Amino acid sequence: MSMSVRNFFLSSPPVEWAVNQLRELLIGALRQGPIPQHVAFVMDGNRRFARTHKMETVEGHNLGFEALARILEVCYKSGVRTVTVYAFSIENFNRSKYEVDALMEMAKVKLQQLSQHGELLDRYGASVRVLGSRTMLKPDVLAAIDKAVEMTQNNGDAVLNICFPYTSRDEITTAIKKTVEDYSTPLHSQARPFSQTRITQKIRSRNLSTSPLASSPLRASSPAPSSISDLDESVSSSTTLHPDSPPTDSRSHNNAIYQDPETITSETLDQHMFTAGNPPLDLLVRTSGVNRLSDFMLWQCHENTKMVFLDCLWPDFDLWQFLPVLVEWQWQQKYLEDKSVGKVGASKSAKALKVR
Amino acid sequence: MPRATRETNVYRRDARANHKLLTPAEREKLIQPYLPSPPSRSPTRETKEGFRDRPIRKSRLGLRNFFKAQLHALLYAIIHTIFSIYIRIRVAYHAVKDRVFAVLYYHHRTPELIQKDVKGLKRKPEHLSVVLKLEDEARGGAGLEALVDEAAEVAAWCACAGIPMLSIYEPTGILKGYVPATHRAISRKLSSYFGPQHPALTLRAPHVPSMESPSTPTSDSPEISQKQLSVLLLSAEDGRDSLVDLTKTLTEMSQRSKLSPSDISVDLVDAELSESVMGEPNLLILFGPNVELSGYPPWQLRLTEIFHVQDNQGVGYQVFLRALYNYANAQMRFGR
Repeated sequence: MSMSVRNFFLSSPPVEWAVNQLRELLIGALRQGPIPQHVAFVMDGNRRFARTHKMETVEGHNLGFEALARILEVCYKSGVRTVTVYAFSIENFNRSKYEVDALMEMAKVKLQQLSQHGELLDRYGASVRVLGSRTMLKPDVLAAIDKAVEMTQNNGDAVLNICFPYTSRDEITTAIKKTVEDYSTPLHSQARPFSQTRITQKIRSRNLSTSPLASSPLRASSPAPSSISDLDESVSSSTTLHPDSPPTDSRSHNNAIYQDPETITSETLDQHMFTAGNPPLDLLVRTSGVNRLSDFMLWQCHENTKMVFLDCLWPDFDLWQFLPVLVEWQWQQKYLEDKSVGKVGASKSAKALKVR
Repeated sequence: MPRATRETNVYRRDARANHKLLTPAEREKLIQPYLPSPPSRSPTRETKEGFRDRPIRKSRLGLRNFFKAQLHALLYAIIHTIFSIYIRIRVAYHAVKDRVFAVLYYHHRTPELIQKDVKGLKRKPEHLSVVLKLEDEARGGAGLEALVDEAAEVAAWCACAGIPMLSIYEPTGILKGYVPATHRAISRKLSSYFGPQHPALTLRAPHVPSMESPSTPTSDSPEISQKQLSVLLLSAEDGRDSLVDLTKTLTEMSQRSKLSPSDISVDLVDAELSESVMGEPNLLILFGPNVELSGYPPWQLRLTEIFHVQDNQGVGYQVFLRALYNYANAQMRFGR
């Protein structure tokens, strides 16, 4: 009874207007301070919400989607650049077929719907990316994903990463695999239209009067570092004189030059993650009171990411739950700033001045 | 929270019909009043035309924006003033609560008391992990001493609570340079808890020649010799760097055609990392005021329960105990 009275009160036009004004005001106020550039959400609790409210699981997921839309609005309006959401884990394929199918259908329909509003998306500069293992998806869902991603790929103001069949371990493994593949392709392609022997022959036939040094630029065909090209020059000058040069040539052909594995750093792996190019993860929020990452953003949030575990269920999540999190984050940023300023003496502040 | 009840209802009806009820245009009309003004990306779009009436429009808008910005700045200041009051109260409240817990639950260096504290728990972590911080790097010696002592304390609690595996993460890795000294410190702490017959201790660190405990006491009593505590020291280089190192090795193998990139799977990476660093811990305790991993090994953290006490500072037995209670989904009451 009291609930329905409350709902009636809240949905009356003047109250609704006032609440919306207040929201706008609060978001505008938040914008005055530092804002996390990249926020990730684990949208946990849809099923429990459905169970406690005695509705179907799918209905819970629908309400979860509405919560997502609300929170995205808050994020982008307050200045967050990238939002990453954990929509579907690879582990979730173990759930009932009925639920998996319903979730897939939901994703497909929502993405198709998104694609119908291309003009709107362009105007707000939002781009959608789907992170995860594509091979596990059905073709119709993939088509919907590709369309939505393609339509929005040139919008750079705000990014929404939807982790669709995703686990972080899969992401890390994929990044390692891609890096290994990158480093296992020889640096120069062997199929160039120019034959080195032909060039050598031509040089030999045409001139013996010019000095061997002049011919060396022609021989130095590989884009190798300078130390190697020095060596190449000395070799080439000898090969132009002696006919038994082919052995050295064939050696360099078989042993293709690779990039040095020692140059792999964590940045290299970073660039091969699904989130490559996104700002570092500042804030990770998980709802429904579970204090685990559950295979989400392991690589990304291991450094300075602030993680927040909230007790509320995802469909209940809104500005009113998110606001304290954001304010505390801002407060901590300021606190950290003050501390670093206070701690470091004149030397560092002089350095900071120089930077400025 | 209804934001726009009528529109939400229309939307839900549309959604229930799989979005076949409304046309795209109708849908756009539905949300039109709620759209913010699009971000201004090209402010210098119109240069010459509309030059005459522009200054007026701009100044009016500018004034309105100015007031809006002032209002927002004011509200921001108010919110943060309230918040800083709130956070002081919260910190004070938590400090009192922690004090009360610390007084009520104190181990008195008695294994029996700790055993009694954890007796009722339905499940205990097989592998516990803690993050410790080196305080005051500038003063060196004192910080290191405190760190070693904290590590030894936590190890002793684990031995008493019957947790066989403890990994201690400390970003700088300074402990790894003092493996024998740390081993000695932990042994000493164990004997101060258990007396002369304390559980066997193994201390090791990845990438450091494994320090098999030479000073394991030869306790003949069977019930104590069953107890084994192995402690693992981790640092930032066992985090992302270990994944980078693995990638380097795999790359070398692939370049020498000893491996094809398609052979790389989650299982392979997992096997390698649990071999060379460690497996997945069941429970991670952070003794800091908020959840920040500061470079903790990412791969192993997949399903780990992460526990911290809000606004807590420092290593305390009550935090350790609350983490165990939380892990077992048990309620902790004031008083034993």
